[in-house]
Amino acid sequence: MKLETLKSIISKKKNKSEFAIVTNLSTGESEIFEKNKPFSKELEKYSVQINNFFKSKKNGVIEGTEIFIETYIRPIKVIIVGAVHIAQYLTDFAKSLNFEISIIDPRGYFASKQRFPDMNIINKWPDEAFDEIETNENTALIALTHDPKIDDPALQHALNKKFYYIGALGSKKTHTNRCERLKEAGFSDEQINSIHGPIGIKLGGKSAPEIALSIIAQLVSETYKK
Amino acid sequence: MKNSFDEKILEEAYDWVKAEQKVVLATVIQTWGSSPRQTGSRMIVNEQGDFSGSVSGGCVESAVVRECIGLIKDNKPCKKIEFKVSNESAWEVGLACGGEIAVYLEQINQ
Repeated sequence: MKLETLKSIISKKKNKSEFAIVTNLSTGESEIFEKNKPFSKELEKYSVQINNFFKSKKNGVIEGTEIFIETYIRPIKVIIVGAVHIAQYLTDFAKSLNFEISIIDPRGYFASKQRFPDMNIINKWPDEAFDEIETNENTALIALTHDPKIDDPALQHALNKKFYYIGALGSKKTHTNRCERLKEAGFSDEQINSIHGPIGIKLGGKSAPEIALSIIAQLVSETYKK
Repeated sequence: MKNSFDEKILEEAYDWVKAEQKVVLATVIQTWGSSPRQTGSRMIVNEQGDFSGSVSGGCVESAVVRECIGLIKDNKPCKKIEFKVSNESAWEVGLACGGEIAVYLEQINQ
């Protein structure tokens, strides 16, 4: 692989683009494939197969050829509401996972750069913050403040936009109260039951890193069910 | 496939290149049967034999390192190697899981 190709792969990953690396195994030549980018002369005859790999997000060798395709998918957007202690461990655990994390917290002393270096922190109320982030059914929400003023608007946004994963921290009692408020706000039982609350898979731990681990485990598991 | 992992091996490869090391990328390009790592899994190797990442569960990495050093020494751009089930009676390199993998080695050229 040429150093130039390596550099441009790294920058495309950084920019969260969707692309594929196509390598001719007999020559060692690689090129980058992107949607709507014209094929090089050499690859034109494999355009159908390359597009199939790209669409199904799979890696592999085109049968009967020496062409290898490696696809890169856009990271999954994860919104954390509450720049709390658990969020610090969550961002640590997520470092080697393909998640793009944004943290929302209107409380400035929580949402500080010093507490979350190199993170996208939005120091606003959820309603305003969601104006800045594009969200859809491929987005996940982790609500951690257990303060209805902050969590509820975020949960409502996530339910309306049909996020594939919605988790909310809090005891069973906190969650029951939360469900009642959402019911009053007009959400259906089906919508409300889709919220993972209390959040996380049962590991038994109670400390911040242990809760963060249980949340990340649930998030990864739900991501593969998608 | 919904990849939720990102191992940052290519980023590490670039760091090694910047530190003026010769680097070979080793990528799993095909698998048959039950293989420990999926297609696209990577490791990097430098001329000293330092390596990072993986192409199996530790079964064939030592052989991959040897092959990568050979590639640098012979100054060849690329090579494809295949690994099959190990023979339990010998100390040879192979996959205990009964799978087969093809690994592609390529030098990063300046």
